[in-house]
Amino acid sequence: MSAAGALREALGSRRIVVCVGAGGVGKTTVAAAIALDRAACGGRALVCTIDPARRLANALGLSALGNVESRVPDQAFAEAGVRRRGELFAMMLDVKRTWDDLVTRHAPDPARRDRILRNRLYRQMSSALAGSQEYMAMEKVYELATDRDYDLIVLDTPPTAHALDFLEAPDRILDFVGNDAARRLLGPALGAGRFGLRLAQLGGGFMARTLARFTGQGVLEDLGEFLTNFQGMYEGFKARAGAVRALLSRPEVGFVLVASPSQVAIDEALSFHERLRVESMPVAGLVVNRVTPDLWEGPAPLPTAADLEGLLATTGIDGPGLALRLAETLAEHQAIATAERAALERLFLEVPVPRSVVPRLESDVHDLAGLARMAERI
Amino acid sequence: MALSSLLDRRLVIVTGKGGVGKSTVAASLALRASRAGKRVLVCETNVFERIAPLLGAPPSGSTAREVRQGLFTVDVTPSAAMREYGVMVLRWKTLYDAVFENRLMRYFLGAVPGLAELVILGKVLHEVKVLDEGAPRWDMVILDAPATGHAVQLLRVPAALIDTVPAGPLRHDAEWMQAILVDPVRTGLVIVTLPEEMPVNEAIDLDAQVRDLLHIPRTALVVNAMPTSRFTPAEREALAPWESAPPPLGPAVRAATLQAHHAENAQRDLARARAAIDLPTLVLPLLALPIWGPEAVERLAAELGRTADRAGAAA
Repeated sequence: MSAAGALREALGSRRIVVCVGAGGVGKTTVAAAIALDRAACGGRALVCTIDPARRLANALGLSALGNVESRVPDQAFAEAGVRRRGELFAMMLDVKRTWDDLVTRHAPDPARRDRILRNRLYRQMSSALAGSQEYMAMEKVYELATDRDYDLIVLDTPPTAHALDFLEAPDRILDFVGNDAARRLLGPALGAGRFGLRLAQLGGGFMARTLARFTGQGVLEDLGEFLTNFQGMYEGFKARAGAVRALLSRPEVGFVLVASPSQVAIDEALSFHERLRVESMPVAGLVVNRVTPDLWEGPAPLPTAADLEGLLATTGIDGPGLALRLAETLAEHQAIATAERAALERLFLEVPVPRSVVPRLESDVHDLAGLARMAERI
Repeated sequence: MALSSLLDRRLVIVTGKGGVGKSTVAASLALRASRAGKRVLVCETNVFERIAPLLGAPPSGSTAREVRQGLFTVDVTPSAAMREYGVMVLRWKTLYDAVFENRLMRYFLGAVPGLAELVILGKVLHEVKVLDEGAPRWDMVILDAPATGHAVQLLRVPAALIDTVPAGPLRHDAEWMQAILVDPVRTGLVIVTLPEEMPVNEAIDLDAQVRDLLHIPRTALVVNAMPTSRFTPAEREALAPWESAPPPLGPAVRAATLQAHHAENAQRDLARARAAIDLPTLVLPLLALPIWGPEAVERLAAELGRTADRAGAAA
């Protein structure tokens, strides 16, 4: 497919590639294949994944993926028979660690840092809050892009419940950390700069009293402590989040939509595309994975069991009802291939960017050689 | 066996990796249960509502609507759930409106970690325990939960709050919610997977997390879209040289090879899932349907019955 060359060209000028798409479409594999391709061409490339995909670690010849980058050993390339002129690195994002690093970077002193790291709300937020993964993924990419000298960083994003999460999460969490509404509600406590204050001392306004009925007083005290400690750090956080966002809309960044031919994955890709367009984020290409290959091109009708019966007789192959089974298998295969093609036509029409289509089975990647084959496709 | 014990639960939670057919399985299960005379509510938390359309009905939105006889669906959104929960806690709608419809306040509540998850789960679990004139409103509530990571986040919220929040209304709610989640009589969790490499890996991880972290009673593993072995090894070997024959034989042989390869891999992954996950397994066949809609749900519901019969006969 000529469009495949166009995708490679479109990715050639990027320093950061962000793979987005629904869960289960093979994002991690596509991300690794894009990084591998750059390494094969002589670049220093890193793939950063969120998925604890042991398979990917194995495929790359690494025993495990950690929060720091590991270089894929030469031996793994040699064993797979893959030639490469550059270097390939891989890492897995540790969300909690990245949060802790961020707090450590912005805390004015060790005492404040420790108070935040110990805070119950902070602990819950850094490990369990929805959107936290997404925020930290962007944060990590920014750190890697500014502190390291990779030619290409490929980010495999978490399988978000919804496309919006990815771009909204940082704002949502920043809103929480620097929440003006909360500051006004809890203002007196913040001014006191102490925690463990009774709610009665918080001004005891109507809102605060009602809120306490809803959440309980202890929660507000935790929140008061949390916000007190974050006070003064918010500007740093906000500036950094702004920088991350600015980085994402630069031309050296490209988003790659990854989809499979299923309706859910296509809907998700369309919704991502729309969202990225609205946000002026650069979409570099589209990869459709796990596509059923078309085995019966052209207008001729599919063969019947009788058609195949005659041909099988000339080959000498025999089996009970074999011709019928063959005819049915081909017909089912084509029914799915045709439905997929129709669904994808709509996607291609609405998302006119360089694309590549990876057939099913070829996308069943088990090792570095398999990744290299996929890179070839992309 | 696995199915009948599932149909006895008041709360069935369906989860698994994205794209494995959770919603289809949840809808089929609901159809099966409603046909057995149960009054069923399916709750989903999807942004694109899927259950009602899968059953051939328009989206239900945030109010439960009957889409088939005895089968209701609802899409639980954070804002609607927050409102319901707020009104319930404050027992006074005007007070809720005064406080919670306040922009400042909404902004603030939207930011409290875990609160959105808590009210979503609270709404679902409230439906499990709510009584209408002394009798449970629903015989069965099915939660079509989000994909693995988000499902664990959602289902962990009550336990996390019990650990982190001091005594008070929030903690009280977390406690009754957790009591339902871990109740082996009322609750059952179903893990859905495909007979493929990554979905099986994720199912194995999820199973461990449910057992060790969430402590929610696990009831069944559903392996969806299982292809049948249509060609014997001898046939495959005999056919192989003809893959590049001219049409129609070549393409037919190629389709057979792909099908056989798919079936063989699926057998391997099914065996792996069975070996690693100590749960009764329901295997649903791969349907040769280009579109997932009411027909697929009908056929899977029928298959669920057959699978249960076979398992029963084998027991």
